Parts: sequence; C-alpha cells; structure tokens
Amino acid sequence: MIMKLNWFVRKGLFYRPVTIMGWIILAAAVVFAVYTFIDINNTSHSVSDVLINFVFNLLIIGLFYTLIAYVSEKKPARVE
Amino acid sequence: MNYNSNEMNEQDEFLKQMENLQVPGIDPPSHQKTVKMAIMNAERSAALGVWLIIVPCYFLFCVFMYYYSHMQGSWFGAMFKLMTGLLADKPYMDYLAPVILVVLPIICIIINALAIIHVNTRQLSPDKQRVKEFSVTIKVKLWNIVLILLSLAVVLTFIGYVMTENISIKN
Repeated sequence: MIMKLNWFVRKGLFYRPVTIMGWIILAAAVVFAVYTFIDINNTSHSVSDVLINFVFNLLIIGLFYTLIAYVSEKKPARVE
Repeated sequence: MNYNSNEMNEQDEFLKQMENLQVPGIDPPSHQKTVKMAIMNAERSAALGVWLIIVPCYFLFCVFMYYYSHMQGSWFGAMFKLMTGLLADKPYMDYLAPVILVVLPIICIIINALAIIHVNTRQLSPDKQRVKEFSVTIKVKLWNIVLILLSLAVVLTFIGYVMTENISIKN
C-alpha cells in the first residue's frame, strides 16, 4: 500500500507546496542554496567562477527538490 | 387481376430472397477498441525529465563555452578540463560525473519511454492458439520524445568521451 502524501501540486515544470511539510522542504532547499552561494562566493576568485559553480549547485538542488515533490505530489485522476 | 397476382408473387419471392440472405457476421472482439494505457503519466514524466536532463545539458553547455572560448585542444579535452575544474573540489567527484552524465539521462529515458510506449500481446485467432501478436504502440508526445533524444545524445557523448580518453591513455 503506497502512502499518499499530497505535499505538492504540479504547475507545469514546477511543484508548489500545499502543506506545511511541503513548505518546510522548499524552505530547506532555499536555505541550502543560499548557504551554497555564500560558500562558493568565499572560495571563488571571480564573478563568473561563482556563477558557473552556483548555477550547477542550484540545478542539483532543484533536481532533488523536484524528485521529492514528484514522489509526494497530489496525483491527478488518471484520464487517458 | 391476373397482372396483380403475378406482381404479388414476384414481391413475395423477392421478400423471401431478402429474408434468406446471409448477413456477414460481425466479430465483436476483433472490432473492440482497446484502451492503451501507458505505465506512467506523460506530463509528470516530462516535468521530471526536464529536471533530470537540465543538469547534464548545463554541464555540456559549459564544455561548449570552454571549447569555444579557448579553441585549443579537442571537445573532449575541454570536457576533461571542465570536469576536473567544476567538480574537482567535490569529495564525491568519482561518482558525480557518471551519475550526472549517465544515470540521470538513463532515468529520464526510462520514465519518458514508459509514459509513451504501450506493449500488448494477444492471440491472433481462437483457432491458432500458439500464434500470438506482439504490438508496440508509441504515443506521439513531442516533449517526451525530445527528452528521450536529448538523453540519448548526452549518454552517447559521455560514452564517446570515455572511449576517447581510454584510447588516448593506452596510446
């Protein structure tokens, strides 16, 4: 029996949180992205270096967020 | 009167003939419209597929920009330099590159293929029990097909890179 979580709702490519748990996950992703940016900014030597590394990390964070949202989203009624 | 009775007889015969006509039989199972359900939802698979393929695409875009701006060396040389530059400080570098460039695109291919492919086996007729028909149906969903092709391109690029590196190391 698969547990229905219903934490997110898909809007096109993106997932919008609809429960407190969903918002906590989104907040954690944003906080981690900010932390990553500060960390990269401290160790990089140029703006392009910061952006190249940060965008890469941001995409990976977005991928993990989407994976979590994908398995815990509110599934639409199946119509084929 | 005689003329009328003749006409009546002809009509009766005609009606009898019409009643005895053999109507072609309709075989309902063969005309059944089958509902072809895919295993996964096409739109959900496309949404996740975009995120799965955007990371390797960004990496390949960086490789392209590096190659375009430096112009010395080969495309794969640029890929190697970027891989060591962009991912070198990560402790999990050994696993990250294959995961990004092979595992993610393969997952993308699988979920999108499951969303558009329908496979079915059925018997051709009740008389021929051993003869079975195997049919594969592919739904034409543009985004899913584009994502599958992009993922294939990324995987093949990485395989090309690995083969070139191995050949150059051996020589």
